[in-house]
Amino acid sequence: MENRVNVFPPETAMGYRERIRILRERKLEATQVKSKIKEYQDGDDYGSVPAPEDYHFQCEPNHDNGSWYGYEGWSRNFYKLMSEHPVYIDSVDAFSCRWMYCMVWFDEKKGAAWNPDFPYDHLKAAQEKYGIVPGIGADAHFAGDYEIGLELGWGGLLAKLEEYRRKNPGHDAFYDGEALVIRGIQNWMKHAIAEARRLAEAERHPVLRQNLLDMAEVNEHILEAPPATLREACQWVCWFNMASRTYNRDGAGFQLDQLLKTYYDRDLAAGRVTREEAVFYLACLLLNDPHYYQIGGLDEAGNSLISEFSYMVLEAADLLNSACNITVRVDKDIDRAFLHKAVDYLFKNKNGWPRFSGDDALSKGFMRLGYSQELARKRIAVGCHWMSLPGLEYTLNDCVKINGAKVFEVALDDMMAQGGAFSTQRLWELFDYHMGQAVAATAEGIAFHLEHQEDNEPELLLNLLSHGPVETGLDVTKSAKYFNLCIDGTAIATVADSFGALEQRVEREGRISWEELYRHLKSDFQEPGGERVRQMLQASNRYGGGDTLSDHWAVKISRAFSQQVRDASKSYPGYQFIPGWFSWSNTIQLGKQVGATPNGRRAYEPINHGANPHPGFRKDGALTAMTNSICAIQPGYGNTAPVQLELDPGMGRGEEAVQKIADYILTLMELGGTLLNINIIDGQKILEADKDPSKYPDLVVRVTGFTAYFCALTPEFRKLVVDRILLK
Amino acid sequence: MKGIVTEIERFSLRDGPGIRTTVFLKGCNMRCKWCHNPETLQVAPQLLHYPEKCLGCGACLAACPNGALSAGEHGVQIDREKCRGCGTCADQCFSGALVLSGKEMDTEEVMAEILQDLPYYRNSGGGVTLSGGEATCQPDFALELLRACRRQGIPTALETNLLAPWAVYEKLLPELDLLMFDVKVYDEEKHKRWTGVSNRAILENARRAAESLPYLVRTPVIPGVNDTAEEIGAIAGFVHSLGGDLQYYELLRFNPLGEGKYTALDMANDFAGVRPGPEADTEPLAQAAREAGLAQVRIG
Repeated sequence: MENRVNVFPPETAMGYRERIRILRERKLEATQVKSKIKEYQDGDDYGSVPAPEDYHFQCEPNHDNGSWYGYEGWSRNFYKLMSEHPVYIDSVDAFSCRWMYCMVWFDEKKGAAWNPDFPYDHLKAAQEKYGIVPGIGADAHFAGDYEIGLELGWGGLLAKLEEYRRKNPGHDAFYDGEALVIRGIQNWMKHAIAEARRLAEAERHPVLRQNLLDMAEVNEHILEAPPATLREACQWVCWFNMASRTYNRDGAGFQLDQLLKTYYDRDLAAGRVTREEAVFYLACLLLNDPHYYQIGGLDEAGNSLISEFSYMVLEAADLLNSACNITVRVDKDIDRAFLHKAVDYLFKNKNGWPRFSGDDALSKGFMRLGYSQELARKRIAVGCHWMSLPGLEYTLNDCVKINGAKVFEVALDDMMAQGGAFSTQRLWELFDYHMGQAVAATAEGIAFHLEHQEDNEPELLLNLLSHGPVETGLDVTKSAKYFNLCIDGTAIATVADSFGALEQRVEREGRISWEELYRHLKSDFQEPGGERVRQMLQASNRYGGGDTLSDHWAVKISRAFSQQVRDASKSYPGYQFIPGWFSWSNTIQLGKQVGATPNGRRAYEPINHGANPHPGFRKDGALTAMTNSICAIQPGYGNTAPVQLELDPGMGRGEEAVQKIADYILTLMELGGTLLNINIIDGQKILEADKDPSKYPDLVVRVTGFTAYFCALTPEFRKLVVDRILLK
Repeated sequence: MKGIVTEIERFSLRDGPGIRTTVFLKGCNMRCKWCHNPETLQVAPQLLHYPEKCLGCGACLAACPNGALSAGEHGVQIDREKCRGCGTCADQCFSGALVLSGKEMDTEEVMAEILQDLPYYRNSGGGVTLSGGEATCQPDFALELLRACRRQGIPTALETNLLAPWAVYEKLLPELDLLMFDVKVYDEEKHKRWTGVSNRAILENARRAAESLPYLVRTPVIPGVNDTAEEIGAIAGFVHSLGGDLQYYELLRFNPLGEGKYTALDMANDFAGVRPGPEADTEPLAQAAREAGLAQVRIG
């Protein structure tokens, strides 16, 4: 993407709305280019722009394997990249630059993400046996407290580092690394300032020229000093987001309608900004990166956070009409007008935003860990399926998974190998035992990660926005105030449906023997009569059907899993392991680990998505039945088991329909729902787009927790979405 | 008490206010030529056959207790004369090639399903709608279901063609919060030709019902039958004359989804190949209804 000037004749009207329209068009252009580049595919839209072909980062390895690790390796390479980073400036945009590279995507990190000086071969057997995604070496996935950065600015952060360096002798590696990170960002900023001034000299359009000059001035001010205005605060956030994305793809945002509102209120009172201008800044902030932001909900004291500024955030996202990851937090007393507005935008733009999180279940669940209600309210939705206390906790959210289907397969193989009388009760006991083993192995892996991650990939960006690291001179993996560590179960529907089908078809109806069924599983239903058996199993009463056998199994599985995860904490003082149900897009990868299962799933097909039932769970596809089932298996400790919906655009047509969807959302949350992701999808359009994605360059879908441009997804990822439409 | 239920549809958003569960009872006392639910016409369960889904396993042939199934050149053949709709064959068919429409359920079973969505009804002002076929073809079962809902505090609605004797409605109406009925064609002879029955009793029942409770009226817009401003205007004029607590009048666009089911039932379909016109074509009809005096007109 080149830095363009004089694209528009000086007399062209250049109001805020027009500027957003131009920015959106340019974003679609960039998306088209990105959709053909592997690094940008199959992920969140991220707001990045394609990197220029004439710049290639040459890393400075500090390890024999050609990669870099630890404070020194990461800070030196990050500093180098920031100092050399190409500068993209759009004269129409309110803010400077976009991110282009992610260090964990560089070739030097491929196959070398973990520092080989810390082998964990002793853990791999169990991880493989149970299909564990261990999270060893995983990064980001917890929230920084942006207030720290906004209050101090880069200069203040540097001063803070020096202050604590003096208090913590012997931690120079940490402080040197952190300081180098900031200086690298400042170098990028300086280059951006120079480029904005250079462009301003060439630009003939008066509005755009002035914008470039303002852009330079804003950045000059926040190069050292903390931001003073809304525009400066947004630009500061953009810098942190771009740098943090470049470092390790960190995408957690903050309570958008609380933190930035202060600046808006001050600017408005002083006559420094208009409402329209502020909405433009917010749109540009969301364009810069569709980070996960929360709006609404309650402050620590229980007061509603919904304000005029919350509406402005929705308006900004509506104007931009692009990929977006805003979550509206729903409490039982939420302003109905605001909820309706949010639902209305969902159907209007059909871009998968906003999402909705459930205040009641999240807070109550988190408080079961012994935390206060005030703290629980601060734990906000800032990730794919997860919540985090900004700056206060380290979480590994969405990084650690146990493949429930694999555990089930191990249990079934065990039972059949042992012989004797087969039963679902016996199978359950074995499943429970193996899940316990899997959880223990997972917890051990997390402890290993925490022990060595600072020597692998310290969180040099998020450390700056955390309470603890700078104060102690230790990486957040050693110094977070709370260690609330996520362990997600997956394949709950696959497993529950398998138990349900066995109980219904083998035990209750006596249609098939255990031995015969097992033989069909092992042949992947390829033997004569196998397809009929498969269809019989698949036609059993399923999870999501409403009070079915499989629904009951799902509740049993979830309760046992939650207990096992909680119990694992007892062996690791200071750590709280928190259960959840979420697969992310690992449905494909985890499915490839498991042979045919008794729910009629063929070998190596995907497991179910998150906490959702397998498609085709019920003839009428009733959302309420599915929702009740998902609400009944909530893990119960403040992490989520999301509801993922695909709705027809016609469902939200008109005021009455919007009200009904809002009523549905409120009921879902009342029933214990923690998170709701909704796609508004025209089935026909998706099928056509799947054939030729380039025909629909602006089609945005929520793949799992994140939104993405459909054209930027590979066929395998598109299938995740298409199957949910076809089979729902 | 037991009844024959075609289907229970939850999260129904188009059969009355709020989020609802619609219970479709089997059987109908009209024979509308455009019916898109032909499997609901008779009360007794019926077998639908989708040969393209057949695996050829032969389990159904062995299962049929009446010798109604045989292996033909193009798969399973059904002798409709011999088929009793017992569903034994469908119980062996997991591919969906043989499907029994209609299930005998008792009130408790239906209520168990309905009650699962109680919180949604409460929060949305929704409830339960009885539909068909024609729910009044099983009047006692319908009455018992409505009373059971009322005992649970669940708002009720009935979707009906208003053809049953008034004595049936006299019993049902006190158990209802909302009545939804169709006026399909205004002209009596034309009504007979397209539905098989006169509409005189329907219009009379409409007058009486409109005095009793809130109601809404719907007209399925059928190409070549009633899709003219004159016809819709006449119906709307009648509806306007009813007075009472009319919630709204709704024009329902033609639904061609029944085609596959006619084939699956070995029934002739008079509207095979007919498709609804563009949505915009319905707007002049809605305008005609407004001009006839109706304030609230919707297109569904």
